[in-house]
Amino acid sequence: MTEATPPELRTAWPRAASLRFVVAEGIGLRIVVAVVLSLICAAALVALSGHNPLAAFAALAMGAAGSPHQLGVALNRATPYLLAGSGVAFCFRAGVINIGAEGQIALGGLGAAAVALHWPSFAPWFIAPASLIGAAALGALWSAIAAAIHLGRRVHEVLATLLLNFIGVLLVQQALAGPLGQAGAGFLQSPIMPPSAWLWKLPSLDAQVGFVIALVAAAALSITLWRTPFGFAIRVAGRSRRAAAYAGFSMSGLTWAAMLLSGALAGLAGGVEVLGIHHRLIEGFSLGFGFKAVTVALLGAVEPLAVAPAALFVGLLEAGSLSMQRQIGVPSALVVVIEGLTMLFILAATVRRA
Amino acid sequence: MIEFLEAAIRIATPLMFAALGGILSERAGVFAVGLEGMMLMGAFGGVVGAWASGSAFVGVGLAILCGAAIGLVVAIVTVAYRADNMVTGLTANILAAGLTSYLMRVLSGGGRPIAIHLTPLPPWPFPGLADIPVVGPLLFALPPLTYLAIVGCLVLAFFLGRTQAGLTLRATGESPETVLASGAEPFRVRMAAVVACGAVAGIGGAVLSLQQVGTFTDGMTGGRGYLALASLIVARWNPFGAAIACLAFGAAEAFELRMQSFGLPVSSYIVQMAPYLIALIVLALLGRASRMPAAIGQPLPRDQ
Repeated sequence: MTEATPPELRTAWPRAASLRFVVAEGIGLRIVVAVVLSLICAAALVALSGHNPLAAFAALAMGAAGSPHQLGVALNRATPYLLAGSGVAFCFRAGVINIGAEGQIALGGLGAAAVALHWPSFAPWFIAPASLIGAAALGALWSAIAAAIHLGRRVHEVLATLLLNFIGVLLVQQALAGPLGQAGAGFLQSPIMPPSAWLWKLPSLDAQVGFVIALVAAAALSITLWRTPFGFAIRVAGRSRRAAAYAGFSMSGLTWAAMLLSGALAGLAGGVEVLGIHHRLIEGFSLGFGFKAVTVALLGAVEPLAVAPAALFVGLLEAGSLSMQRQIGVPSALVVVIEGLTMLFILAATVRRA
Repeated sequence: MIEFLEAAIRIATPLMFAALGGILSERAGVFAVGLEGMMLMGAFGGVVGAWASGSAFVGVGLAILCGAAIGLVVAIVTVAYRADNMVTGLTANILAAGLTSYLMRVLSGGGRPIAIHLTPLPPWPFPGLADIPVVGPLLFALPPLTYLAIVGCLVLAFFLGRTQAGLTLRATGESPETVLASGAEPFRVRMAAVVACGAVAGIGGAVLSLQQVGTFTDGMTGGRGYLALASLIVARWNPFGAAIACLAFGAAEAFELRMQSFGLPVSSYIVQMAPYLIALIVLALLGRASRMPAAIGQPLPRDQ
């Protein structure tokens, strides 16, 4: 049936073609096998600790999605991974390896907190959007520094983005120790933000609106990638720099665009976390988010929207981990092992046999 | 001043091991982003081995095995399955963070990590030589694993520059096709180099847990693997250069620890940024001059 599709239809519906690629190459099946393999390894680890693996997984599943509240927690956990991950995936598609999400998320949190705490004179309805804009702007600024060093001085983008992560996280700590900090808190944190800056919660779920923003952003990136001339240029550049140069695309222009876009999205991830969850900037609020977003983005190297199930998988695992620890006594760190193993199996299973 | 330099050498030792391992891996053509996880597993193996057996030697042995295990995982996924080096390395780091944290809690049988407190390895002064002013305390009164790091640096430089196997390894990172044509197997070279990288970086982790701290805490490497990665690239994949870069980072950290007593009006966060800022500025100044091994990050040719 699918073989009968004329070639011109394939070019007219690139999204459908990519979906068919997923089905035809059996990538979906391979991902399922990867998840099952990692769960088998995790079951062995649970058995090692003297507990029943099935009971542990049941507690994990109930904790992740057993009630609207738990599901909301899981969606909130998935949000920063989806936002930052879809941006990183977009970079991957352009052939730019941006592993700077860790620092860009931290800076985004700083941007959101700075706007929300220092411009209370804004109209109340405008504080939250302005804070999110501040978050995206600082995240984009941080990736712009990496892009400038990479393009201007030919430093490998992996190194530029990696080193800026550490500087960014320390910069946030410095801000909390100085101008943004709450004096006498005994902990590096900012004062609580005015309630008008808090993001709303979705009705009947305990998830905040950030998850919707993240889904919209991932969908917008997907459309940009597949349906616009800019997205076409990005895909060509990612496949072959020589082909992109021959077509007259500016490689540095495309790199700038991809880096700024993913920096802004990572910044937004930090802003959403601060405005929607903590309502204040806290030291280490984004610890490990960026590195995990890179591995989540790996799935999106095929398609930014495909980051959504991956982010949701990680969010559900992390939301369920605490009740597994409380009810069964299996340490919650098990879910980090499952995440790492799943991603490694997927990496091994989905490489194109070109 | 001498006490400050001693501290710099002590702090630099784990970085030096990790950087030496990373040079092996990157010279063979595989980005060493997984150094952080290899160190963390090594730190865990070192403490658990020494605690279970009562011998630091066993601890270092287990650290080598644990680091090599992460190296093997990275080698299988990147070399055998040809996956992206960067993402695989980052993922291996996540796996190591989860595994060490989980196993520490399983060992205690409860929800809390098991409490292990060991006496950090004391220095081994050379009789006579250690009493020489200035040079003595800096070179001849060091803890045992720091001597090993200096020896490792010399051995690696000799291996890469003066042996047939070292030449084959470097060629695998530059042009695997040529290595294949010359009759060696680039696949085996890369697998072995990445596993060896894990083993050496594992010793680096053991230095941290056995020689400096005396216990294991979650995520105790705290970015040292990435710092080692930066230092070996700043040093252009040269063992001696990497050792010097690690010493510079060690000096920055030693300075930060002493700053309070100096009473300088600089925030400690700004000082902690210094190593990363220095690395970034040096890389930017080197610019195009920092030429990578030509085939780094590229999967091996298919037709073997």
